[in-house]
Amino acid sequence: MSTGVTVALLGQPNSGKSTLFNALTGLRQHVGNWPGKTVEKKEGSFVHKGKEYRVADLPGSYSLSANSDEEVITRDYIASGEADVVCILADSSQLQRSLFMLADYAGIDVPCFLLLNMSDVAAEQGKKIDAKAIGEKLGIPVIPFSATDKKSYDVFYDALEAVIKDKGLLNVDKLTQQYESIIGYREIYDLIPENVIPGYSAMWIAVKALENDKVVMAKLRAALDDNAYSQIEEAKKNAQGAVATGGCKFAWIDDVLEKAVDAGDKKISLSFLDKIYTSRIWGKPAVILTVLLGLIASFIPAIPLMIVGSLILAVKAPVMGVLTSIGCPEILTLIIGDVVIQSFSYIFKMLGFVFGVTLVFGLLEEVGVMARISYVFDNTMGKLGLQGKSVMPFLVSFGCTMGGAAGARVIDNWGQKVLTIALAWAVPCGAAWATIPMLSTIFFGPGAVLVIVAVLLTMLLHMWITAKIFGAKLVKKEDRYGMIMELPPYHKPKWGALFRYVFGRTKETFIRVTKVILLVCGVFWLLSYSPSGDNGGILYTIGVAIEPVTKIFGMPWQLFLSYVASAVGKEGAIGVISALYNGNSYSSGFMDAMNGAARAENLNELLLANVTKPEALAFIFAMTFNMPCVVALAATYQETHSAKWTSIIVTYYTAVSLILAFLAYHIGLLIW
Amino acid sequence: MCLSELKENRSAVVTNVEGDSRFISRITSIGLTPGCRVMVMKNDKNRPMLVYSRDTMIALNKNECQGVMVEEVTA
Repeated sequence: MSTGVTVALLGQPNSGKSTLFNALTGLRQHVGNWPGKTVEKKEGSFVHKGKEYRVADLPGSYSLSANSDEEVITRDYIASGEADVVCILADSSQLQRSLFMLADYAGIDVPCFLLLNMSDVAAEQGKKIDAKAIGEKLGIPVIPFSATDKKSYDVFYDALEAVIKDKGLLNVDKLTQQYESIIGYREIYDLIPENVIPGYSAMWIAVKALENDKVVMAKLRAALDDNAYSQIEEAKKNAQGAVATGGCKFAWIDDVLEKAVDAGDKKISLSFLDKIYTSRIWGKPAVILTVLLGLIASFIPAIPLMIVGSLILAVKAPVMGVLTSIGCPEILTLIIGDVVIQSFSYIFKMLGFVFGVTLVFGLLEEVGVMARISYVFDNTMGKLGLQGKSVMPFLVSFGCTMGGAAGARVIDNWGQKVLTIALAWAVPCGAAWATIPMLSTIFFGPGAVLVIVAVLLTMLLHMWITAKIFGAKLVKKEDRYGMIMELPPYHKPKWGALFRYVFGRTKETFIRVTKVILLVCGVFWLLSYSPSGDNGGILYTIGVAIEPVTKIFGMPWQLFLSYVASAVGKEGAIGVISALYNGNSYSSGFMDAMNGAARAENLNELLLANVTKPEALAFIFAMTFNMPCVVALAATYQETHSAKWTSIIVTYYTAVSLILAFLAYHIGLLIW
Repeated sequence: MCLSELKENRSAVVTNVEGDSRFISRITSIGLTPGCRVMVMKNDKNRPMLVYSRDTMIALNKNECQGVMVEEVTA
């Protein structure tokens, strides 16, 4: 273990905690899960004046109650003593409310200091805040801070060093006085034995007991004799509980801020942009337009990486040619070309997407637009058990599912994030949208429009049912409450921190997904590989052998193998069909299709001669609702950190796509 | 009266908050406690409310407003 100091960052959502974390740690960060919990754990480190500091970005929550895993993890982590210093963030532009976290923290015996973030925004609003006066009342360093201002960081480091040296604790005398006014507080306080829950003062425990905190009550139950415990229960009954303690906390905050804040005389009103976003009529179109513009914008930073991906694919044939000419064994040449080079081409194209989407979504979050998107879609997404923000990954998934999965990162609740990704898979991606109209037109002529409508309706139904099935496990009932959130003022982004964050996530994605993509592409290649070069190989053999079964789902072996290929990449589906009905081998057809081989010129005639209408319909549904692609799979694994949930989603989608094919086929048989 | 009955651009003082402990904790942490002043910025049918309180613009689902009791004040 290193001997450095650990700093924990504590603050409500939108307090600018993540920006500070990214600015401090840059690329030196790691995201995982808290042991045994579905809550993200963000850690990092930085070096200042030759000393190493570890930073823990604690899960965002509004208070330190016991109502969610996030909150319990946060307070247990702090009380465990793992952090030497806690940096509490408040938003200067919404100071009164955002100091609630500090008030809830009071009574935890870990040295701390207060960061009044967004001081630039507050200044713009005409607010004058006397940080020094606040600091004197609190007994800890209080520093005005603006993440976009370089000088702020010097002040931050100075305060950090001072706290480490002095080990200053928050002055809670005035707050205790407030609590004393609550009937029952004193009685409970006197019954709490010394050090019953290490790290917490008796005051803190007494207040949590009044608030009927489940965890604290259970600990008291275990530590106290029956008599003392029932006395606490009795005292609690007469008190007003959390309403009273909350009142005390805000009374204390008012007292701390008295004479230290000059709010200015700016009239409170909705900005022009907010008038549009909160409008009944224009809200939704405005959000969709914002996301679409964001999506288009995200292509620009993505282009360089996409080009790298295409270049890698372009060198594939020459490299394989050279390998063959120098007498490299054929199988090795194929593995290098069709697995390794092919995979890296996918990976770089994916990184382009991840980079662009992370940047644009991060920017929207940073400037405050994301909160408006949440607001506008809260009612709609709430029906699926999701936050309003989830609408963004869904919209992005119409373009590309991996972009949608990467975009789900903005959802701060892990269960809701996994559910969002699971639902985003049901949204047909750009490659599917290129295939659906083409196939439909060949078989159904003008009826193609109806097929597209049917696909869209199926998508909605699919998402609804999937939300019911997965939601029960992923989103707890108590997490499904209606929206209670603040709309933060708009503010300028901190470009440096944002880019470092985006580069960091892109790098991490690269490391994590490379092995997944290599593995899955390798397995598919191995299954498709035919030593003779003619038709053969494991997948082909199985496909032909189980044709009686796949026919139940409306797919002769050619269509079934093409369906399997569509799990690797939907753009390959048509290429594989072309190759198979032209009598080419599956092995080479599969590889050529993945290289972007064009459809056969006589595809229309070939298909009409070999495939019936119900079969075509079955295939369209099977291909569309199949696993989106290998890269989406890797992105899902990367974002959920869960091999278990990733495989559940894959299995589920495979099964559902076959069920849909079955239904489409048999409905088709009734029609034609 | 409950918060959602308050018309746009009117101010009120919160008199009480009612609900389960999760709701109380959540509504308290966002700053709506008895005695605090709120101003209604937006109150459209079937849409979340927007209120301003304690330096903060707060978006509240209509259902959630049921638990917040207020008394209207003039100016």
